[in-house]
Parts: sequence; structure tokens; C-alpha cells
Amino acid sequence: MAQTGTANNTGSATAPGRLAPWKIACGAIMVYVIYGSFFVAGGAEGFRVGGDGARAIFFHVPAAILSSVLYFAGMWYAAVFLFGKKQNDMEADAKSGICMELGALFCLLATITGSIFAGIQWGVFWNWDPRETSIIVMLLLYAAYLILRGAMAGKPAARARLSAVYALIALVPAQYLIWAVPRLLEGNHPTNTLRDPAMTSLGYKLVLYPSFLAFAMLTVWLFQLRFRAYRLAASREETL
Amino acid sequence: MSGNTAANSSVNNAGISVGNQAAVKAANWLPQAIALYKKDILAETRTRVAINSVGLFAFASLFLLTLATRGLGEVQSIRILSLPLHGITLADVEKAQIPAWTGPSKLGLLWVLLCFAAFAGLAHGFVHEEEAGTGTALRLTMNPQAVYVGKLSFNLTLLSLIAVLVTPFYMGLTGMHAGAWPAFLVVMLGGCLGLGSTATIIAVLASKARGSGALFGAIGLPIIVVFLMLLLNAANTLYNAEATTMRMVQDFGGLMSFGVLLISVSAFTFKFVWEE
Repeated sequence: MAQTGTANNTGSATAPGRLAPWKIACGAIMVYVIYGSFFVAGGAEGFRVGGDGARAIFFHVPAAILSSVLYFAGMWYAAVFLFGKKQNDMEADAKSGICMELGALFCLLATITGSIFAGIQWGVFWNWDPRETSIIVMLLLYAAYLILRGAMAGKPAARARLSAVYALIALVPAQYLIWAVPRLLEGNHPTNTLRDPAMTSLGYKLVLYPSFLAFAMLTVWLFQLRFRAYRLAASREETL
Repeated sequence: MSGNTAANSSVNNAGISVGNQAAVKAANWLPQAIALYKKDILAETRTRVAINSVGLFAFASLFLLTLATRGLGEVQSIRILSLPLHGITLADVEKAQIPAWTGPSKLGLLWVLLCFAAFAGLAHGFVHEEEAGTGTALRLTMNPQAVYVGKLSFNLTLLSLIAVLVTPFYMGLTGMHAGAWPAFLVVMLGGCLGLGSTATIIAVLASKARGSGALFGAIGLPIIVVFLMLLLNAANTLYNAEATTMRMVQDFGGLMSFGVLLISVSAFTFKFVWEE
């Protein structure tokens, strides 16, 4: 991720306005996913509103998966910052912060799309089923991390250390969300509809898998942009 | 006493050479931790700031809580989601009824209370060191590991003391029963361990960041949410007469593991927060 970021950085500096092919592909796939979610995939059986309620999953599921992947990526960079060979590796800290920011964004998107889906499908916008509970806790952890970073704005070295430690501490509650929460709330909710047979129909696969790809590419792109912005700000501070 | 002499010797060594000092700091962290613990207990018995603030908070919220939940006795609530969407019969409603004010919910509320009480006062240990300027002395003379262990032990002692004082009153006022006593003690111990370890590491983070008061609650409570879920899980098992031994081991072990894991991660990362 870091290597491609650097290569791209220099590339776009020499030729402004030119997009890398994979970025064009990302846009094309995203357009296809939006089109496909309405026209390739049919209305899902057993879903309300003639199956149209299920179309949210093309955006909801990738966002939810990305929010947890980015969480672990952020923790990884936090660990690299604290325990890596390089002392005071501020780039690792920046990467950790960017992962957390993007993760919080996707977490919020997954929560909103999920809530809309729940409102249409189950008649309630929020009913504390295991996944909903986990994502709310994730959102809280993300928010706490970003609040801590924000509170330390003027002191980059201290901010890097404290937020890295907080990211690692938050790993403890995060891992319980995987196994303890579904069990704790098992009595409160009917079995989840995400494993519905309608999911496995060809039309859905044809849209959902490209959607995963497009979301992953978009994340890498966003990550690169944020990291490039960080580098520019850092080099500007050095020259001042 | 041996702890005091160890602390003194490392003070004497502090001025000689950095390498020597580092060796001394690393060598005897346990006596150092004990010395710090003794110092904190002694300071606490003189001023009683932490115990008074945590205790007063706990007792005040205890009375607020019992006042607010007075009418809850035998109220029933309905599990709405288990009702069919159309054609609800009386039998459906009766099947969906669950008691609102059960043993697990009482124990859960007791721990909500203890969490807020802990967050009202446990930051004191680190904030006090920074305010009095003694934090720098600790950093110079002590191994960070020793500081962590000393402060953690102090917080755990304080928290256990508060729990021992508050729980009998809470049981009397809300009519909470203990279930099987050994199991109840295990749950309470696991609770103290999880809450104390969370509050300790969050307290040092908050004392290093600006605006520590507000930040302490904001960054601590998301972690506490998961801890409370595990505690509720254990409480459900505690008051479930049909719970198997396997299930008890799993759920109580799950609660205990939270504290143990958090202490391990904190022990690894504490020095990055503590040293400047």
C-alpha cells in the first residue's frame, strides 16, 4: 500500500490531471455496481417492497467489512509505530490515523445503510441485534480514537504515542465483539437474514463481488490521497 | 521496608550515569511497585481524596438509582420482536412477557453505577502526580512497569473497597440476591479486575492529553461498554438456575479474560504513554 502510494505520488506530481488506469477502472466498476444494483440484480425473494429493500446490501456489506478491515489496519500501523525498528516513525502514525478516519467513515455509512435496510425490512430502524450492537460499539471506539487525536492536535509526537496506545488497547474490546456479543444477545432477535438463499442468486453475485472490488479500490485511493496530503503538510512544516 | 530502600537506592543512583540508572530501574521493578503502592496507600489514608470522591459518587448515585427504579418491582415488559406482525393473540402476549427487574438487570445496574463512580475518581492517581510535579521524579527513578503495577494495584484496592462497601447497601435497597455465593464473588472479582484495569490505562492516557477530565470519560466509556456486555453475560449465567458448569466456566472466564487481556496489553504499552 505504501509503495504504490509513493510511486503514484511522484507520478501525479509530474503529470497533473492524468488518472492512473486502475482509478478509471474503479470509477467504471462503481458505475456498473450502481447500475447493476437496480437492473442486474432482481428483487430478492422474501424481502419487503417487492425485494427492493435488499438492494442496500450492495453498499452496506462492503462498507461494513471495510470498516473492520480498516480498524485492524489502523491497529497494525499503530503497532508498527510503537514497536517498529524505526524510531518516531511519523508516517506510520499518519497511516494509522488515516485508516481510522476512513474506517469511521465506512462504519458510519454501514450503520446508516443498515438502519435504513432494517427500517424497511423489519419495520424498526434499530433493534439491537448482534451486528447492530457491534457496529455501534465500533463507532464509539472510532469516535473515541478520533476525539483523542483531536485533543492532542498541537503536539504531534505525544499524539502519535497516545493514539497508538489507545488503538492497541481498543483491540481488547474489539475482539470480544466477534464472539461474545452475538452470544449475549441471542435471545432478542430472530436469526439474521444476511444468509438468505436469495443472496446466492447469480444476479446478486454479479453485483456484490464487483462492489467489494470497487470499494476496496476506492479505499486505497482515498488512503493515498489522505497520505499525500499528510506528506505535503509535513514537508511544508519542514521548510517553514 | 525493603521496598523503600530499593526506591532510595535508585534515587541515589539517578545522578550517576544514565546506563547505570537504567540497569537499576530495570532490575528491581517489583520492590519499586510495592514501594509506590505503599506510598499511594499512605497518601490516601492522609487525604482520602480518591476514596471519598469515588465513595460519595457511588452512594449518591445508589440512592438516585433506587429512587428512580422504586416502581419497577413486578412490572412486566413485552418482547416486541417475538410477536407476529399480524393477528396478535393474548397467548402471544403472555409468551412474550419477561420480568423487567431481574437479578441480571440489578447486577448490571450496580456495575453501571460502579463504572461511573470509578470514572469519577480513579483518574486522581495520575492527575495528582502530574499536578504535584512528582510524576517527573517517578519517571526518573522508577521502571515504568513498576509505576504501572503500583498504580494498578492501588486502583484495584480502591475499587474493591468501594464494591465491598456499596454492594450490601445495594442488595438491601433493591432486593438483589447473590445467587450462588462463590459464583457471585467470582463475577464481582472479574468486574473489579476489568474495570480497574480499564480505568488505570485510560487514566494515564487522559492525564497526558489535554483537558483530561472530559477526555477520561469520552475515551474510557466505549471500552467499558464491551466490559459491561461481558458482565451482563456472566450475570445472566449467575442467576440462571439451569446453567451448566461448562457455561459458567465460559462466561465467568470470558469476564475474567477481559481484565487479564487489558492488563497484558497495558503492561506492554504503558511505557510509551508514561515516558516523555
